[in-house]
Amino acid sequence: MGDIEGSPGSSMHGVTGREPVLAFSVASPIVLTDPTAKFDLPVDSEHKAKVFKLFSFANPHMRTFHLSWISFFTCFVSTFAAAPLVPIIRDNLNLTKGDVGNAGVASVSGSIFSRLVMGAVCDLLGPRYGCAFVIMLTAPTVFCMSFVADASGYIAVRFMIGFSLATFVTCQYWMSTMFNGKIIGTVNGTAAGWGNMGGGATQLIMPLLYDLIQRFGATPFTAWRIAFFIPGWLHVIMGILVLTLGQDLPDGNLGALQKKGDVSKDKFSKVFWYAVTNYRTWIFVLLYGYSMGVELSTDNVIAEYFFDRFDLKLQTAGIIAATFGMANLLARPFGGYASDVAAQRFGMRGRLWTLWILQTLGGVFCILLGRSNSLPIAVTMMIIFSVGAQAACGATFGIIPFISRRSLGIISGMTGAGGNFGSGLTQLLFFTSSQISTAMGLTYMGIMIVACTMPVTLVHFPQWGSMFLPPSRDVVKGSEEHYYVSEWTEDEKQQGMHQGSVKFAENSRSERGRRVASAPTPPYATPNHA
Amino acid sequence: MAASTLLFVASILLSSFALSCYASGTFSALQKSILLTSSPKSGQVLKAGEANITVTWSFNKTYPAGTDSAYKTVKVKLCYAPISQKDRGWRKTKDELKKDRTCQHKIVKRDYKPETDSVTWTVERDIPTATYFVRAYVYNAEEKEVAYGQSTNDGKKTNLFEVEAITGRHVSLDIASVCFSVFSIVSLAGFFYLEKRKGAASQQK
Repeated sequence: MGDIEGSPGSSMHGVTGREPVLAFSVASPIVLTDPTAKFDLPVDSEHKAKVFKLFSFANPHMRTFHLSWISFFTCFVSTFAAAPLVPIIRDNLNLTKGDVGNAGVASVSGSIFSRLVMGAVCDLLGPRYGCAFVIMLTAPTVFCMSFVADASGYIAVRFMIGFSLATFVTCQYWMSTMFNGKIIGTVNGTAAGWGNMGGGATQLIMPLLYDLIQRFGATPFTAWRIAFFIPGWLHVIMGILVLTLGQDLPDGNLGALQKKGDVSKDKFSKVFWYAVTNYRTWIFVLLYGYSMGVELSTDNVIAEYFFDRFDLKLQTAGIIAATFGMANLLARPFGGYASDVAAQRFGMRGRLWTLWILQTLGGVFCILLGRSNSLPIAVTMMIIFSVGAQAACGATFGIIPFISRRSLGIISGMTGAGGNFGSGLTQLLFFTSSQISTAMGLTYMGIMIVACTMPVTLVHFPQWGSMFLPPSRDVVKGSEEHYYVSEWTEDEKQQGMHQGSVKFAENSRSERGRRVASAPTPPYATPNHA
Repeated sequence: MAASTLLFVASILLSSFALSCYASGTFSALQKSILLTSSPKSGQVLKAGEANITVTWSFNKTYPAGTDSAYKTVKVKLCYAPISQKDRGWRKTKDELKKDRTCQHKIVKRDYKPETDSVTWTVERDIPTATYFVRAYVYNAEEKEVAYGQSTNDGKKTNLFEVEAITGRHVSLDIASVCFSVFSIVSLAGFFYLEKRKGAASQQK
C-alpha cells in the first residue's frame, strides 16, 4: 500500500466495513477534514460540512438547511395557492380559459427576472439578505389577493407573487456555501425538493382552508380571499426567522467577513461574463426549463384538469394534484442522491447519464398521462411522471456547482430562470388556447420534454469528459485546477483572488469517479481564514 | 412513497364507485313536455343575494294523457346561456347528460305534480356573473331524466337574463390586508437598519 495520499491502493475507504457508504457523508481521504475548525459537523478546508445530518439543527450548517428549505417551501405555497381554487376563482372573477392560462404563465414569469437578479445579489450581498428581502417584500402581494376584482387584477397579483420564487436561488446558493461538493447533489436535491413540495402541499392546504372558512359562515367568493392570508403570514414569519437565525457562510455573515478582508469582493461584470460565455450554462437553462418548468406548469393545471375531466370534487382533485407536488419529498432528493452515487463510480459522466435518463422518462410518462382516459391510470402515470421530472431537477443541481466556481450564483440564477421561462412558454403554447384541450396539452408537453433533453449529450468537461467522450489527455488542460483557475486573469491571480477556486478544484477531484487521481494531491494548505 | 401508494389505492376505490353509477341518458332523447316560465324579463339584471326569481311550471296538456305516468320528481336549475359558455370549457353543453355542464345551479327539487307548481327563489350569493335561463328536468323512479322544460327557445337565444354576482370583497379584509403588508415591510426595513448600525458601530471600535 502506498503512503502518498491518493495513490493507487492507499484509500482505506471501506476497509473496516464500518465506514458509511452512502452519499450522506464524505469519508474519503481525498477530501481532507480541516482539523482546526470547531463545528458540530466535520468540515473540509472551506469549512463546508462533509456530513448531512438531516434531523439536526446545529448552527450553522443544518440550521441553514432548514431555514432555507422552509422559506422556499413557503414561496411555493403562495405562488401556487390559487391553482386548486381556480374553479371558485374563475366564477368569482368571470374568467375565461385564456385568463386562467395567462395567470398561470404570469405566476411563473415574474421569477425569471427575480431569479436572475437574485443570482447576482447572492454573489454580492449574500444569500441571507437575498432570501429575507424577497420573502418579506412579496408578502404584501399575497395579501393583495383580497383586493382582486377582475381578470387583469388576478393576473397582475399572480405575477407579483411569482417573484418570490427567487428564493430557489438563495436556497441552492446557501447550500453550496455550507456543504462539500461530494454531497452537494443530495443536499441541494433535498433542500430544493422539500421546497418544491410546497407546490403540492398548497393543493391540499388551500381547499382545506377554504372549506374550513366556509364552515365559519363565509360565502365562497369571500372564503377563498380569506384563505390567502395564511400563506401571507407564513412569508412574514419565515422572513423574520431567516434574519434572526441565519448566516451567510460557515464562518459568519458576508458583510462582516468582507470587512475583515477574509472574503474578497468580486466585480459583477466579471462574474456575469464568465457565466454567460460558458456554453454549459445555456444548455442547463434549456434543460431545467423542461424538468422544473414542466413541474411548475403541471402544478398550475393539474387540479383543474382532474376536477373537469374526471368530475371530481374540489377537495378530491386537490388531493390528487397534491400527490404530484408532494412526490418531491423523496423524488428530488433521490435525483440528487442518484447523481452522487453515479458520480462515485463514473464521475461526471455518471451524473450526465443519470440526468438524461430521469428527464426523458418523465417526458414519456407525461405523454401517457395526457392520453389516459381512466382515473386510476391517469393517477399512476402522473405519479411516475412526477418522480421522473423531479428527480431530474435534483440531478441537474448535482451538476451545476461544477460548471463554474466564480459565477455559481449567477449560473444558479440563470438556470432557475430558465426553469420558469420553460414553464411560461409551455403554458402559453399548450394550456391557454381553447383549441387545445388540457389532455392534448399534457401530451404535447411530454413530447417537448423528450426533445429538449437531448442537448445534455453536448455537455463536455475537459477534465472529466461527457456522456460519450472521454476527458482530455493533456496533463494541464485535463486538470481541475486549469478549468477553474482559467476564470481568473493573471492580475487577479497575482492578488490571490483565485485561491477559493484552487481549493474548490482540489475538492472536486471526486468527479473523476473511480479513476485514480494521477496528479499528486497538493499538500494540505492553510485556509485563508482561520 | 407510502403516502403516494395509499393515495393510489384510494383513487382506484374512488373511481370504481364512480364507474358504478354509469348511465347513458342523452338530452336529445328527452321529451319537452313541461311548460316553464320565469319571472325575469329578457335582458334584466338581477343582483345575487337580493333579487328573486319566480319559476312556474306545469305539464303541457297538448301531449297525450299518460305521458307523465312515469314522472316522479322535478329539479329546477339555473343554466348558462351560450354567451357565458364561450371560452369556458367547464360550462360546456354536451348531449350526454352525465357529461353536460350547462346547468350547474340547483334552484329547487320537488315531487312531480301535473298541476301548475311554482317556486320563488332568492338568487344565492355564490351564483357567478353570467347570462342565464331556467330549465326543469323531470326524473322517473330510477332517478333518470325523462323530460324537461325551459324558459328559453331551442336555440337558447330568447328570454335570457343576467345575474350580477357579489364581489366577495369586504372592507375589513382590505384593511387587514394593508395592515399586514405594512408590518412586513416595516419589520424588514427595521432589521436591515439595525444590523447596518450594529455593523458600523463595530467597525468604529
